[in-house]
Amino acid sequence: MATIIKTEHLSKVYLGKIKAVSDLNISIEEGEIYGLLGPNGAGKTTTINMLTTRISPTSGTAIVAGYDINKQSLEVRKSIGVVPQDLTTDEDLTGRENLLMVSQFYDVPRATADERITHLLKLVDMEDAADRYVRGYSGGMRKRLELIVGLVNDPKILFLDEPTLGLDVQTRTQMWNYVRDIQKKLDVTIILTSHYLEEIDALSDRVSIIDHGKVLVTGSPSELKSSLQGDIVTITLKNQKEADTMKTMNGAIEIKDAGPNTVRIKVANSDKSLPDIINFIGKKKLSTIKLTVQKPSLDEVFLEYTGKDIRQEEPGDARKMMMNLRRVRK
Amino acid sequence: MSGLGPLTVRELKKWYRNPVFFITGLLQPFFWIALFGSAFDITKFFPDASDLVLGGAPNYITYIVGGVLTITGLFTAMFAGTNIIFDRRLGPMGRFLSSPIRRSSIVLSKILSATLRILPQALILIVAALLIPNGLKFIHGFTVLDGLVIVAAIVMISFIFSSIFSVIAIRMTNMNSIFGIVNLVNLPLLFVSYAMFAPGMMASWLSDIAKYNPVSWSAEAMRTVIINGTTMTASQWTQVGQWLGGLAILAVALILLTAFLAEKEIRD
Repeated sequence: MATIIKTEHLSKVYLGKIKAVSDLNISIEEGEIYGLLGPNGAGKTTTINMLTTRISPTSGTAIVAGYDINKQSLEVRKSIGVVPQDLTTDEDLTGRENLLMVSQFYDVPRATADERITHLLKLVDMEDAADRYVRGYSGGMRKRLELIVGLVNDPKILFLDEPTLGLDVQTRTQMWNYVRDIQKKLDVTIILTSHYLEEIDALSDRVSIIDHGKVLVTGSPSELKSSLQGDIVTITLKNQKEADTMKTMNGAIEIKDAGPNTVRIKVANSDKSLPDIINFIGKKKLSTIKLTVQKPSLDEVFLEYTGKDIRQEEPGDARKMMMNLRRVRK
Repeated sequence: MSGLGPLTVRELKKWYRNPVFFITGLLQPFFWIALFGSAFDITKFFPDASDLVLGGAPNYITYIVGGVLTITGLFTAMFAGTNIIFDRRLGPMGRFLSSPIRRSSIVLSKILSATLRILPQALILIVAALLIPNGLKFIHGFTVLDGLVIVAAIVMISFIFSSIFSVIAIRMTNMNSIFGIVNLVNLPLLFVSYAMFAPGMMASWLSDIAKYNPVSWSAEAMRTVIINGTTMTASQWTQVGQWLGGLAILAVALILLTAFLAEKEIRD
């Protein structure tokens, strides 16, 4: 696989002092779904805006689809598709007209555009709504339309900035399926920002956790999780005596009490350790009442690297966020 | 890849599909010619001085039709900038800015579509003026060239004022600011001009200022060809040429300035 995006010391400083992105070095491979995960104000959108040439970097550069974002911004724009955080479709036009207008921005020939638009509409199950005015769409439909507007120029790379912001859980899961479908069927590289951990976990092949404009760690979601070295096996036994026996087991990182007759065993990899635990139980003739295995989620990874819990984050720009939510929910 | 075509088509679709916007725009000329034509009809106060008041026109409607055409163009053009702010507030601006189109196209499409909206209004206005009792009369006939003068003047008035108000909107995020500015300048532009009254009827200081108002140039150029028709003298043509030339220079300069500023300054 070839590298399709490579940033070199990419930085953006606002007003001479606010470092939105500082010295960012990432490389993204062709065909992957790459997640940028970080709290609000971490620099995700600024990074996307620089890579899509909407703003220019203060220093450093990036090569996107073979073009330099500073010197060949027009070429970059032609080879990418963008789905910004805010809604961008025109409510007074139909879905199809919006798609057609954007295809004309890229000088896509009419016949090709018509064919492509029909295909894209089908991909997100919007054929029936295509000729209705966008103002009549539900929030989920508008987001789906946004998703394919970014694809009318048949881009090599698709940037998705918070694609499910403001959507309900069910609609969000549905959006994930569409994103996966798009990646598979159109063979496009996807760069995804989100502050929903589940979203990054569900979609991305690799993820960079960023905060204060810096990459803290990069890896696949499962790599990141296993780097924490901590699957938790919780076992409840018949009585305290058995629980005490259980604590004498070898091979765990940590074993401690976790309530009446219950022990909490931390192991590097529960898939490998579980047979040992079960063997130990069998050998010592213990009777288990309950046994649960908990793999670490990306929440813990996030907590580990940023030192904060993503769920306690307040939206950085409350006004903008509310505006967006209002529009999405309408 | 300039984007001007699709963006202009979009603006026009938003116009003709909105029945209120569309119909009020087309009704406005009727009201204006009927109201202005009778409310400001000063000939009734000066029955003996109609030459001074009307400059050779057979009635007041014929005299002010050029002025009302200009004002129609002016008032429509002044709102050209508002859609830039709407696009910014409602989101489409983000899409335009991340597309490989010229940024000036975003603004120029507003100017172009405003101008295209004005032309049917102008046509309706002329038809309305012809239909009303004691209305527009071409006593010395009317030539194709006269028609071209009218179209040229109104197109340039539209270019001039939609450019000015688009430039104002390029960095603006609040709709109320632009409405405030429009309200501040619309009536002064109308009354400090020769659109309604002959220079001789105005206070001299007002008339001196009005001389430099492009609204006056357009109104006077149209008026001269409407009143004189086929009897236009060479010196009258020279005068009309000067007015149109002034409008053209201003229009070109302002459009270039608008395009330049849009390329550089337009933001989300």
